[in-house]
Amino acid sequence: MTNNLLGLFVVIPLATSLATGALVRRPVPQRILGLVSLCSMLVLALTWLVRIRDGEVMVSQMGAWPAPYGITLVFDSLSGLLLCAGLLVTIACYVHGFSMVEPLTERRYFHPLMQLLIVGVNQSFLTGDLFNLFVAFEIMLMASYGLLAIGRTRRQMTQAYKYLLLNLVASTVFVITAGLVYGMTGTLNIADLARFVADRSNAGVPLPTGFTGLSVMLLVVFGLKGAFFPLWFWLPDTYHTCPISIAALFSGLLTKVGVYAVLRTFPLVFAAGDARDVVLPILAVSAGATMLLGVLGAVSQHNVRRILAIHVISQVGYMVFGISMMTTVGLAGALYYMIQHMVVKSSLFLCCGVMERHAGSDDLDEMGGLLKRHRWLGAAFFVAALSLVGLPPLSGFFGKLVIIREGWTASWWLSAIGLVTGGLTLLSMLKIWTQGFWSPESGPRLNRGGDAGGRVRGLRAAHTGIGILVVAAVLIGLAAEPIYDIAFHAAEQLTDPSTYIRAVNPQAGDYVLSASGGGG
Amino acid sequence: MTTVLAVCVAVLVTVSVYLMLSRELKSVAMGVFALGHGANLSILAMSGSPVLADGGLRNPPILGAVNLVDPLPQALILTAIVINFAVMGFLLTLLIVTARRTGTINVDDLAAEDRPDGSRTGGDR
Repeated sequence: MTNNLLGLFVVIPLATSLATGALVRRPVPQRILGLVSLCSMLVLALTWLVRIRDGEVMVSQMGAWPAPYGITLVFDSLSGLLLCAGLLVTIACYVHGFSMVEPLTERRYFHPLMQLLIVGVNQSFLTGDLFNLFVAFEIMLMASYGLLAIGRTRRQMTQAYKYLLLNLVASTVFVITAGLVYGMTGTLNIADLARFVADRSNAGVPLPTGFTGLSVMLLVVFGLKGAFFPLWFWLPDTYHTCPISIAALFSGLLTKVGVYAVLRTFPLVFAAGDARDVVLPILAVSAGATMLLGVLGAVSQHNVRRILAIHVISQVGYMVFGISMMTTVGLAGALYYMIQHMVVKSSLFLCCGVMERHAGSDDLDEMGGLLKRHRWLGAAFFVAALSLVGLPPLSGFFGKLVIIREGWTASWWLSAIGLVTGGLTLLSMLKIWTQGFWSPESGPRLNRGGDAGGRVRGLRAAHTGIGILVVAAVLIGLAAEPIYDIAFHAAEQLTDPSTYIRAVNPQAGDYVLSASGGGG
Repeated sequence: MTTVLAVCVAVLVTVSVYLMLSRELKSVAMGVFALGHGANLSILAMSGSPVLADGGLRNPPILGAVNLVDPLPQALILTAIVINFAVMGFLLTLLIVTARRTGTINVDDLAAEDRPDGSRTGGDR
C-alpha cells in the first residue's frame, strides 16, 4: 500500500521547529504550536495504525525513486506501534514540562529542540534505509545534546561530555559500518538487504566474508544507544542532571530507538548465516547481565532519580531477552514490552518530578509523608510502579509473561534471571514507596525548599502529563490483546520478511524463505 | 589506490585514538574529528578502485556516461561531512561555554569540580 503522506511525520515537526524557533521569546504560542504538531501526528499515526491492523505495510518512496535507489519510508506494524507510543509519551512529557521547565530554559530553544528530537525519532522509526537511519540518529542526538545542556548549569556542563563523546564515537562506527555494508552487498535499503540475505541462504551460497564482523559492529553501535550491558555506563549520570521532563522523555524514547534499530535490522538482515551463531549468544548473555546488574544497581541507590534511571537499563534487558530468542513470539513480546515500558517509565519519571518539587530534593531520606498530602500523586505512582514490576492486570505483566514463557524451554536461565529481576524491581519500587510516601513526615528537614505542608502552585500541567500516561498504562494493560495482535503481526513480518520485501520493492518477486531466515 | 586509502584511514584512526585518550577535552574533540575523517575515507574506499584494468581512470559520476565511479559513496560522504561539521560546531561551542562556566576543560578538574556539590552515589553513603 502506497501512502505518500508518510513524510508528514518528518515535515510537521520540522516546520513546527522552525516556527517555534522564530517565536522563541513568546512561550504561549510556542506551546500551542508544539501541542498542535504532536497531537496531529498522534492522530495520524493512530488512524494509520488502525488501517494496517491486519498486517499490511504502508510505503512511501521519496521523490518516486523506486526502492533500492531512493529513500523509502515504511509504516508497518512495528513502526506504527512505536510511533504512537513515542508520540504519546512526548505529549505527556511536553505538557509536564510546562510547569517543570524553568521559564529561562523554556525561552532558550526548549520547544524547537523538542520538535527536532521528534523529527529524529520519527524518522528512525519510519526509515527503510540504513544510511538514512544514521542521519535520523544524528538529528535525534544533536537535539538531545542541546536539551541535555539546556540551562547550562555547571553540573550539566560536566556531565554532558560523557553522553556526547560516546555517542559521537558510536555514530562514527555506524557510518563506517554503513559504508562497509554498501561495499559488501551493494545496497543500503533494509528490504533489499533482507532480500540479499534471503537469496544467499536460499541458494545455499555463504554470506560474504566479514558479514559477522559487520553484525557485531552494528550490535555495539545500537547497544550503546540502547544501553545494553556492558555499554550502559553513560546512562545514570546523564539522566541525573537534566530537567526532569527532559529526563522522562529521554528515558522513554532514546534508549528505545536503539532497541528498535536492533529489532528492525537483526531479525531481517544481520542475524543471518554464520552471524546468527555469534550474535544470538552475545544478545542472550547481554540480556541476562543487563536485567540483573541493572536492577541490583537500582536497589543500591538512594535517590529517586537514580533508581529510576538505572531501572531503564534493567528493563532494556527484558527487550533484549525477547529479541535474543529470534522467534515470532519472543519478538512480539519484546515489542509489546517496549510499548508499555515507554509509557510506564516516563510516567514514573514525571511522578518523580512532582515528588521532587514537593520534597525539595530527590533524596529518599528527605522525603516522607507524601501520601498523606498528595493522595492522587501516590495513586499514580503506585499504578505506574506496579506496572513496571508486572503485577496483573497491569501492562508489565503481559509483556513479561510472553517473554518469560517463551524463553522457559530454550533458555531457562534467562527466564529465571527475569523472574528474579522482577522481584528485585518490586523491592526497589517498595523502597521509594515506603520512604517517600508511607513514612511519617520527618521534621525540620522538610522545610528546606519544599512546600512544607502548603501547596505548591502551578503544577496543573505536570499532573495532566502524569494523568495521560498513567491512564494510557492502565489501558495498555486492559487492551493487551489488540495491541499484542499488532505486535504479533510485526514479529511475523520480521521472522518472515517476504511481506516487507515485497511491499518495499514490488519487483523483488516471490520469496519462499528457508528455515535460516527466521525461526518460528 | 585502495592501499593508499587504507593507510590513510589507519593513520587517522590511530591519531584519533591517541588524541581521545588525552585528559584535555580540546584534544578529545580533535580526536573525534579525526575519527570522522577516517570514517569518510573508509567509505570512499567502498566505491572501488578508480583505476581501470588498462591503466585509464574511471569517469566522474556526472560528466561521463561509461566507466563511472560509483557515485553513492560520495553522496554518503557528503552527508557525513555536513553532519560532522554541525557536530564539530556544537562540540566546540560546548567547550567554550564549559571553559567560561568552570574555568577548565581538563577532564580530571571537571570531575573534581563535580564532587563537592552533592553528586554522591548511593553506594558510598
